[in-house]
Amino acid sequence: MIYLDYAAATPVSKKVVQAMLPYFGENFYNPSAAYGPARQVRADYQEAKHRLAQLIGARPAEIVITPGATESINLALFGVKTPVRGDSAVITTSVEHPAVLECARAIGATILPVDEQGRLNLDDLRKNITDDTQLISVGYANNELGTVQNLKEIAEICRLERFRRAERSLGVPLVLHTDASQAAGYLDVNVARLGVDMMTLNSGKCYGPKGVGLLYVRSGTVLEPIIRGGGQEMGLRSGTENVAGVIGFALALEIAEKKRKSEVKRLEILRDNLEKYITTNGAIINSRAKHRLPNIINFSVDGLDAERVVFGLDQRGIQVATGSACAANKGARSHVLTAVGLTPSQADGSLRISLGRGTTTAQIEKFKPILKEVIENEQKFS
Amino acid sequence: MSKNSVKKVYVGMSGGVDSSLSAALLVEAGYDVMGVYMKNWSRDLPGMQCPWAEDLADAKRVAVQLGIPFRVFDFEREYKHLVVDYMIAEYARGRTPNPDIMCNQEVKFGLFLRAALAEGADFIATGHYARTGTGNSGAPVSNAVDFDVEKSFSAFFESPRVPLMAFEKGNQKDFSTKSKHPTTSDDGVSSPTYLLRAKDTNKDQTYFLYRVTAAALARTIFPIGGLTKPEVRAEAKRRGLATAGRRDSQGICFVGNVGIRGFLGQYVEAVAGDIVERETRRVVGRHDGAIFYTFGQRHNLGVGGGLPYYVVGKDMEKNEVYVSTDLNNREFWRAELRLSDRHWINDPPVAGRRYQVRLRHRAPLVDCEFDGETIKLAAPERAVAAGQSAVIYDGEVVLGGGVVLNS
Repeated sequence: MIYLDYAAATPVSKKVVQAMLPYFGENFYNPSAAYGPARQVRADYQEAKHRLAQLIGARPAEIVITPGATESINLALFGVKTPVRGDSAVITTSVEHPAVLECARAIGATILPVDEQGRLNLDDLRKNITDDTQLISVGYANNELGTVQNLKEIAEICRLERFRRAERSLGVPLVLHTDASQAAGYLDVNVARLGVDMMTLNSGKCYGPKGVGLLYVRSGTVLEPIIRGGGQEMGLRSGTENVAGVIGFALALEIAEKKRKSEVKRLEILRDNLEKYITTNGAIINSRAKHRLPNIINFSVDGLDAERVVFGLDQRGIQVATGSACAANKGARSHVLTAVGLTPSQADGSLRISLGRGTTTAQIEKFKPILKEVIENEQKFS
Repeated sequence: MSKNSVKKVYVGMSGGVDSSLSAALLVEAGYDVMGVYMKNWSRDLPGMQCPWAEDLADAKRVAVQLGIPFRVFDFEREYKHLVVDYMIAEYARGRTPNPDIMCNQEVKFGLFLRAALAEGADFIATGHYARTGTGNSGAPVSNAVDFDVEKSFSAFFESPRVPLMAFEKGNQKDFSTKSKHPTTSDDGVSSPTYLLRAKDTNKDQTYFLYRVTAAALARTIFPIGGLTKPEVRAEAKRRGLATAGRRDSQGICFVGNVGIRGFLGQYVEAVAGDIVERETRRVVGRHDGAIFYTFGQRHNLGVGGGLPYYVVGKDMEKNEVYVSTDLNNREFWRAELRLSDRHWINDPPVAGRRYQVRLRHRAPLVDCEFDGETIKLAAPERAVAAGQSAVIYDGEVVLGGGVVLNS
């Protein structure tokens, strides 16, 4: 079996599973309870949050644990007080994950186009910020193309806009959120260096358990909860804490950060090797941004039915994706590939191969001829 | 088979195990096979997500596994018009229609067949539990009867296929003008095609197929009609088909878990009214729309205490539902059933001869005679709701049937 869909899900590392297990068993207590064993669980939970905060350069009080990236994003977008609901309340890009796009559309948003590499044009962003703009949400790294946005520059634009508003005594706050789900383990996710006000991370994409995520909320950012109840997570996300999940998430992110530099180097070599093979066989590489993730290859064979290739590879024990998993499930064409200017037949003929910790040179070498054979075979039916 | 005699078959693939194995058997028998997913319905209902995308993916997965081309035929508009609207209209008239029968008549053996032939197919195939046979009237010879799993399929397909002579009036133009291939057989002899019961008497789906025309049947292959369901599962598993372990779908696909009540509620405005005990004319409860009540139904009357009530009739104009606790009530039992919208696949039944009738899918066959309009049962049977179908059999052969009228 050769798994090449790490952008969809990552296996939970053994160490992480081990660290979580006690919290399903002897340490099952509700961290809000008053007795000793529960207090210990609470301390462990706080310690894990502390570590998460440290890993992204934040303070523990700035971390809101959520049941995953989708809810982090919902909290970020709906939680920001937006008294003005109009097309300029939120600005985002056309290549965001559906979680961002659906929320943005529900609130009312300006959705900015991207260039053919999937990058946001910063002048475009500057021009579209109005006095009513309260939230800018730009994904750090795209899940289909791996394109990395210039978050530092975007943060600088937001900083200057805040100055401008302060000088004119405009009371409207401006918050920058980034969905960094795909970035953890590959890019610098230090919020202080990035200059973002809110950041979404997803444990399930960095070798931690699924169903856990976080939203970093810079202190001073006014946020309203969207889920109410017992007041956990500083009132921003009620519900009994997912202790095991957070313990696992913290350790997973710590390992990912530790391995980051060497993994990036290792995967870049494997990626370039595979990409060269794909190019020489006549496919077009879509993931060709200058700044991009080291683990994602997205390519098109015009006129190919990529879904057939996915099924064909699956029968040979190899897992890859067409476009993004969410788009494939609904049978709809990838909005990301459309946004970067691919024709329908190029988009339908596109595959995403994403490498990860388990990917080896031997796997890539084994994969190459099989990929070629399956594509050639399925082209007959396309 | 030599190259130019390879016949082209369009097989309807639903993503289920029956149609998956059907496609596999056709490939193994040497046909030039095209897999087709008919997209008939994709609307989500409250609390239920329509699984069409998963079904489509499963069908396509199997097509890739078999190495055959695969297409989607989008019949959604036509299906809504021909099947769903019909169903809603029938319910609104106080009847209990059978949308599966309509779907077969209009969509699978209508639209799909015509589209396939128009593209040059020689046959269509579906995963129905049914068989076809040829021969002269009264003594059909089944093509699928002796299907043997071990001996494989070829014997079935090598038997001469039926020429397409017996066109129904409405279909003739579509078939003959759009089909690229000649529709007469090599020997030019015409013998009618019969619809025959499946080998698996428990799964037999001919009740749903009685409105298909002989002309359509002459162009149809039922690859699994000679297999039982356990055999189908075993054969699918043996081939490692991706859908081998899939659960069977239940009921009308688009109504699904919502149930007919939830579905109709989306389309029809129901008005509350009285539930009246038939014998006493006493109001025993209230209903939330007569449309939701079906003859013979026991549950959900909202009538408490005592013996259970059964629906024995309704008056759509008065908006009243009639119930009874007496299972011996003569309204429950019928010795005669008048049929409208009669359809005979070949010759109609002969008056005075003994046949068998099926009043519900999977119901036992019951002895009867038919005088051209009315079925006379050998013994009274639990009656069926108006709008349901009665299908007449002559042994293995499905003659046709009609829609049951109110007494």
